[in-house]
Amino acid sequence: MKKAAFALLLLGLLALALAQRYFGDQELEQIKTAGKAYAEVFINQRPDQALCSLHKNRLPADLLPKFLEEQRAQIKYPQSGKLMGDWRKGGAIFNNLQRANCFSCHYGSPVHLGGDVGPSLEKYGLKRGQSEAIQRYTYEVIYNAWAYFPCTVMYRFGAQGLLTPEEIADVVAYLLDPESDFNTKPAVGSR
Amino acid sequence: MRSYKHRLFLAGLALLGVLGGLFAYTQQQKPLDPYEEAMRQRQMYLETFGVLPGELYAEEGKELFFRKGPSGKTLEECDFGLGKGKLQGAYAVLPKYFPDSRRVEDLESRVYTCMQTVQGFKPAQIKRDEVKAITTYIASFSSKAKMQVVPKHPQELALYNLGRELWYHRAGARDMSCAVCHDQYAGQRVRLSPVRSPKQGLGSEWPAYRFEADKLYTMEDRIAFCYESIAIPAPAFYSEPYIALTLYMLAEATKAGKSFEELPFFTR
Repeated sequence: MKKAAFALLLLGLLALALAQRYFGDQELEQIKTAGKAYAEVFINQRPDQALCSLHKNRLPADLLPKFLEEQRAQIKYPQSGKLMGDWRKGGAIFNNLQRANCFSCHYGSPVHLGGDVGPSLEKYGLKRGQSEAIQRYTYEVIYNAWAYFPCTVMYRFGAQGLLTPEEIADVVAYLLDPESDFNTKPAVGSR
Repeated sequence: MRSYKHRLFLAGLALLGVLGGLFAYTQQQKPLDPYEEAMRQRQMYLETFGVLPGELYAEEGKELFFRKGPSGKTLEECDFGLGKGKLQGAYAVLPKYFPDSRRVEDLESRVYTCMQTVQGFKPAQIKRDEVKAITTYIASFSSKAKMQVVPKHPQELALYNLGRELWYHRAGARDMSCAVCHDQYAGQRVRLSPVRSPKQGLGSEWPAYRFEADKLYTMEDRIAFCYESIAIPAPAFYSEPYIALTLYMLAEATKAGKSFEELPFFTR
């Protein structure tokens, strides 16, 4: 009896594993022809990435509350508790293609011409002020954009470990500090 | 040999042009249209040298096409999609299923296959640069051709589906997929580059000489570059993901009635 239950459990687990697989066996073999490093990225897709892929980045309303809650729970803050760090360090991160690469999509950098995939951030701090609420919002969107905009194209810098909480606070300062080049110098492309 | 020297000379001058172009970009207050800038550079090449860098790659590819392999055969013995020796318009029907290799192939993997099966080269003997040049030569016979990629064979359909799944699959530390930019933000701009969807003709310009990189990019090179920029390791050349993605993109572009650009194209 015990054995049968155990076998049933195993079968159930196997069925579950199969049901949740995105690629079929043949497809997995085809993906593996690209090499180990490439294949692993696709095989190790995270559950939240899978959900976004499955729904083509538009989650159904009934999935949203749980999704948002899970994304929020991932946000961590700097140990110092300060959400605004060093704007100079933040600028170096913001304007670096290999680091945060913000300017590729957002307009407003005084260093590089920005793209227009994301909203313009021109004079972000001058337009919004430096209240606790705007600091927190800016920090959290950079840390995990999916907690505000589910499945958006923007990288989840903190949640995916691309930037540390302190580095994110530096970028927040670059955007908000009225002394920051971002707010004192004209954006590339502005008239 | 003359052509190599010629290319070295061209490369030096190209570098000057690129530096000038980059200076113009960074100093420019209003965003420059990258297409217009490419056409300006192209005109400069034509006026200065009377030839485009892409044509030199195609010329090199032609020499390699008629070079005998260890088997004594040239690539004239290879079927590139429309039958042996038929190059006119062949690129526009690829990727497709080939009964001899029993797999779906794009032009690059087809060249790689035939260099082995027809010409008798060993994989280790086949240089990537040679495949690129031969690909450019063959693709030049489909300049401005209407795309005709319509998956029908079961293997073509299977690979089309894989391509579509890879297209939508968000993965890696940057949570990226092809679709998240090329579908959702088609028509917008990442830095200077316009983002296009397959239905807008994404992929219609490769193989192309990119003056900013001073390199020739095939479709596989361009897909590899895309993966690198979203922090996903690029697939090994000639592997299935390239063929699947190319099949998906060009089949979608075919549905929208798109044609190739002048091939090899000249771009940023």
